[in-house]
Amino acid sequence: MPRFFIHHVTKYTYPEPVRDSANQIMLYPVKDENQEVQSQRITITGEPFVEQFRDYYGNEVGSFMHISPHTQLRIDSNMVVITKPIKFPTDEIAIEQQWDHLIQIGNVVPYIDFLKQEFFNALPEVKQIADAGFYKSVSVFVAVQQLNTYVYDNFDYIKGITSVETTLDEIWKLRAGVCQDFAHMLLVMLRLLNIPARYVSGYVCPHDNDLRGEGATHAWVEAYIPFYGWLGLDPTNNCVVNDRHVRLAIGRNFSDCSPVKGSYKGVARQTLEVGVSVSGEDGPGPRPDSSVLTTQVVTGKLEDGAGDDNSYRRHLQMVQQQQ
Amino acid sequence: MPVINVPKLIFMQTSELMQSYLVDSNTWDEMYSDSSVRDHYRNAVEFLEKLSIEDLNKREEFAKRLFMSQGVTFTVYSSGEGIEKIFPFDIIPRIITSAEWDYIEKGIKQRLKALNLFLKDIYSNQFILKDGVIPAAMIYSCPHYLREMHNFPVPYDIYVHISGIDLIRNNDGSFYILEDNLRTPSGVSYMLENREITKRIFPYLLPQSNVRSVTEYPTILHRNLVSLSPRQIKNPTIVLLTPGIYNSAYFEHTTLARLMGVELVEGSDLVVDNHKVYMKTTSGLQQVDVIYRRVDDEFLDPLVFDPGSMLGVAGIMSAYRKGNVAIVNAVGNGVADDKAVYTFVPAMIRYYLNEEPLLQNVPTYQLGKDEEREHVFNNIGEMVIKKTNESGGYGMLMGSAATAEEIDQYKAEVLKNPRQFIAQPIISLSTVPCYMDGKLKPRRVDLRPYALCGPDGIEIVPGGLTRVALREGSLIVNSSQGGGSKDTWVLAQ
Repeated sequence: MPRFFIHHVTKYTYPEPVRDSANQIMLYPVKDENQEVQSQRITITGEPFVEQFRDYYGNEVGSFMHISPHTQLRIDSNMVVITKPIKFPTDEIAIEQQWDHLIQIGNVVPYIDFLKQEFFNALPEVKQIADAGFYKSVSVFVAVQQLNTYVYDNFDYIKGITSVETTLDEIWKLRAGVCQDFAHMLLVMLRLLNIPARYVSGYVCPHDNDLRGEGATHAWVEAYIPFYGWLGLDPTNNCVVNDRHVRLAIGRNFSDCSPVKGSYKGVARQTLEVGVSVSGEDGPGPRPDSSVLTTQVVTGKLEDGAGDDNSYRRHLQMVQQQQ
Repeated sequence: MPVINVPKLIFMQTSELMQSYLVDSNTWDEMYSDSSVRDHYRNAVEFLEKLSIEDLNKREEFAKRLFMSQGVTFTVYSSGEGIEKIFPFDIIPRIITSAEWDYIEKGIKQRLKALNLFLKDIYSNQFILKDGVIPAAMIYSCPHYLREMHNFPVPYDIYVHISGIDLIRNNDGSFYILEDNLRTPSGVSYMLENREITKRIFPYLLPQSNVRSVTEYPTILHRNLVSLSPRQIKNPTIVLLTPGIYNSAYFEHTTLARLMGVELVEGSDLVVDNHKVYMKTTSGLQQVDVIYRRVDDEFLDPLVFDPGSMLGVAGIMSAYRKGNVAIVNAVGNGVADDKAVYTFVPAMIRYYLNEEPLLQNVPTYQLGKDEEREHVFNNIGEMVIKKTNESGGYGMLMGSAATAEEIDQYKAEVLKNPRQFIAQPIISLSTVPCYMDGKLKPRRVDLRPYALCGPDGIEIVPGGLTRVALREGSLIVNSSQGGGSKDTWVLAQ
């Protein structure tokens, strides 16, 4: 059972003092039979009290305020998490029965939320890839893996060409992006096949840099496999999720799982830096230490001060993209 | 109930005032029955007949000046820029008997009780979905079903503190529910202002007519707001949160704040610190206990809902969740007054209360269902089509009045997202007398009584807002669509 030491830093810097900041964090790893949180410590600039609650999807969410003027807001989350190997589906039930089961649960809570697909222009094209006639001849477990591989094979992993605002149409046209974009694309395909699919936010814990998504929070997908349950699929790394992913939150899409988001009053210019360092007992890599942690600039647009009065733009900048 | 063209009956009246009062035989007229004045209108009619036309004109003019000088206005959005208009007022009161009122009151209380239980259920156990009474897809496709409100403790389990349920009267004289307004219903200030104006223009008629008072509305509302305060202190801080001066109901916000003696604030006047809401005052921050908000859910908290909102307060939802502030009405009520969910309210009454609904729904077709949509499209001339999440008469199509081109455009709009539309047969609304150029003329009306729900139960001030379609033959009473209003008298026993 792997044990991971994770240090996640989120740092906002403002050129002039800002105030009346209210924030929401989804940084608490899921606690269930596959994942154990041995310890966690979250420290925040100004040491505000963090109120915790459970959202509709069962995620733990924290909220805090920092109203006095400040030029920096830093959130440090240090945790030790144990993951357990997953028992994969055995695929013994007849194929037809599996797809029939999905039809039966299509209008049932909670699956209903994970099947809804908003319209976008390229949807008919995507539908040709996620072709029900073709995939219904294989089991659901096989179908989800094939689509996972499809996204991996046909999309290029390129940082910096997409952002949290990039639309599905743009991702489809670019055929490229980061983990968040890969996950959203796979969600569309699975939902088109009537397979309930949800977005997962978390951390990836590689051996020898063998997985993409290091240095920031990661995102992948969970598909509902009939007579089994939710199965993790990571299209960025072309794998079925096992014990090298740590889950933070699930939801319909990224905006249900945003690890850190906030709102404040003051100048729009800001820099968001995010760093995640992971080390395991069974792998190489340094023990987490903030002095060796390198933060990376994720967004830093609007440096010219444009849109100071546009709180929507400001909000977008405060949301970190998942890579 | 399609509108049928029938010969109009002409009632020959002796007085000049009455002589052109033409009642449509297929319509319930509130004043006339079988060519005689109904008992409850008799006193008022006798009084009016004694007045000269000049005198009535003077009183009408006086009423107009009073509205203007008091700034009783509203804003019409679709006219390009925010233009403030006087809400047209007709001087002849609409009169409701005490027996009619008793029935309305019982019917609305029953409905609100069920709607409140529905909101509690839909945001917690969802028994009504598990038992298959309402399809889950209906709720989960509703844009106002806020997952953020799930398992969210709401004080006293009250969601609908203030409602303005619209009623209409069909040609058989029975009242029907047209729509449930459970979010931020407006118009109550007109109910209050209209009564004040009547007192001024008919100072003798009102006291001798045995009319029940409506003036206690702000007192009851204030008492309910105080009772919701999380801090058990003598003078909790209550604020009315307005979107600001450009909102169509800004006049109402100022009126209610003044009548209740509470602060009128905008989002920028408030701040949330350590999960408590504070008002910024000249002497520092003052903790707020109860917020009567007239800001819609989606703009209330930019952190949780629309991040572009400048109208709300970041963090207000976490203060609310923690029980440090009460919000009126509760957040998330839109799922209960959605026009598609409306169809299921009679089923809710049976399910939660084990009672038969006293007030019936208008028959409603779901355009999300193929066969119902087809029926509506085939009979579009007799239908009114509405968006499920719009109010105020915006975004609707009146089949009998639309051109073929308008109908085609609307159909295309419907087909993009059929779930967002419903249709109802055009109902022949009841008529009441209106004063028009020296004569009484029948015009169509609806009725919006205002119900207040506090920890001690539901109270409905006897009266409400009667909206009137001032254009001859028009069936649309919304103020944004050329409607006006009348004082509404509920007679005591």
